Amino acid sequence: MAFDIDRYTATSVSVAWSDLDLEVFRHEPLPESSLRTLRYMADVEYHTVCYTRDLLTTPSHREADMSAFMTMWNREEFWHGEALAAVLAVHDITVDYDALKANRMKLGWKDRLDPIKQSVLGGLVGQDFVAVHMSWGAANEWSAITAYQRMAELEEHPVLAELLRRIAKQEARHVAFYTSQARERLAASTKAQKVTRFALSRFWAPVGSSISSEDDVRHVMTHLMSGPEGRRAARKVDESISGMPGLAGLTIVQDALDRLGVAA
Amino acid sequence: MTQSVGVGRTPAAGSGPAPFDVRGFARTAHGSLRAELDLDAMRDAGLSRAAVRTIVTLAEFEGATMEHLRNVLVTPTHKDARVTAFLVSWAYEKYWIADALRSIAGAAVAAGGDGGPDAAANAARDGTAATPGRAPAGRGPIRRALAGFGQGPDVVGAHLALGVVDDLVLDLAYARLESGAEPGAEPDAEPVAAAAASSNPAFADAVARIRAIKARHTEFFAGEAARRLSASPRSVGLARRELSRSAWPLGRGSVATTEREAFARFAVPDAASRAGLARDIRCSIPGIDDRTASAVMRRLGA
Repeated sequence: MAFDIDRYTATSVSVAWSDLDLEVFRHEPLPESSLRTLRYMADVEYHTVCYTRDLLTTPSHREADMSAFMTMWNREEFWHGEALAAVLAVHDITVDYDALKANRMKLGWKDRLDPIKQSVLGGLVGQDFVAVHMSWGAANEWSAITAYQRMAELEEHPVLAELLRRIAKQEARHVAFYTSQARERLAASTKAQKVTRFALSRFWAPVGSSISSEDDVRHVMTHLMSGPEGRRAARKVDESISGMPGLAGLTIVQDALDRLGVAA
Repeated sequence: MTQSVGVGRTPAAGSGPAPFDVRGFARTAHGSLRAELDLDAMRDAGLSRAAVRTIVTLAEFEGATMEHLRNVLVTPTHKDARVTAFLVSWAYEKYWIADALRSIAGAAVAAGGDGGPDAAANAARDGTAATPGRAPAGRGPIRRALAGFGQGPDVVGAHLALGVVDDLVLDLAYARLESGAEPGAEPDAEPVAAAAASSNPAFADAVARIRAIKARHTEFFAGEAARRLSASPRSVGLARRELSRSAWPLGRGSVATTEREAFARFAVPDAASRAGLARDIRCSIPGIDDRTASAVMRRLGA
């Protein structure tokens, strides 16, 4: 079923948490390892606007639906960052502009070269390159929902679980957009399928890998995706990805966990 | 627990405190204006062909945020978290301003009245860009990204200066629409309204709402540009260069050349408005000289 962009834009809101009693964390603080994962998640959410630039280097930015989605998506993800930062703040962990800027300044040449790489690839592959971005986005959003759900299960904290449920609910709409775009573009072009399959199998890494240290990525993946339950969740994401046209058999999430040495 | 923490907790970038509350702006960002528009009343606004045409073009300019985001995010500007936080809500507000403008133009076209040109009418109905004969959108992402290597963080101030000038240009059109001012003395100036906009309170109110929303954008761009350009002569140089080389208005790549030219005639119809815009550009941004302001006017086609 086609994604209803008008309905999405008309109902897009910033995630609310003012009704949640975050002060409860003062006497029921989250453990250190969970806070490290939450910080990673907040950084990823705040960084969405920077991921957007890669998508904008493709011709897709002139499409009205794509432009409308990216506008709302960026804002929703920004507020996810704010919500997670609010939880961290109660634990005396400050995520402010200076901290985010400092993190971005550390990213170095890869970060600088990414838009050029994306532009060149987009020019070489043509319109089919948009399918790569849409499939990549779908994989990232599926992973994000899974991560929030796993975090809620593991912590068993009612306030945190409710906040993460609200965030995951918005992420589900992002998945719906990306998958509807990806399915349509993949179904229409064998070349798009081949290029997307190649890109995902060769280059996909858990969302946040490009802005975090490998230690942090490994910590988060181990925290959320290790053990039989974690692997089951990873398998589910892989099944969703491999269900798209031309992507059958891909196991990119499980492969990434293996590369990081996350125990099954 | 209030929603009073997050990146906005420290409204500062660089060494000194910044006056604009980015987080407050994000929290109070204005969404859809549809419920606030009295479209029925606007059907009788008697808007002229030129006014409807301008509204349709403004919708395209306001809605072209993604192209501008791309142009600045491929440079070191993307590392400035305070600026990117602002741009997220800025794009959101402009999305809904464009939506409101399309609704207004659609109502005016549906009413018949003076109507607009075919391209404008179609665009108003469809909410899509009038694409034939688009103006070049300027440098692509590769050239901008490569240039960004050498420009470094000083380019942020230059990008903020772009926001100031774009707002100044578009506000001239909004001001004329709101006041229903009659054209200037020059014979080729476009008429504003068959009936003065001020005689239609619903239309005047809608334009005033849009200008109020945009005033916060201008406040941010002008305040940040002034702060950064005052602190960095190199940033001033980059701002002069960016302003002189940019296509005006910023979203002109989304609009047919004929429509962009008609917009410029409407927004800056006479010598007095041209002189006023040039003066405002110089006064709003530290270090911007006559030569740069003149280059902007040329690129605008004014």
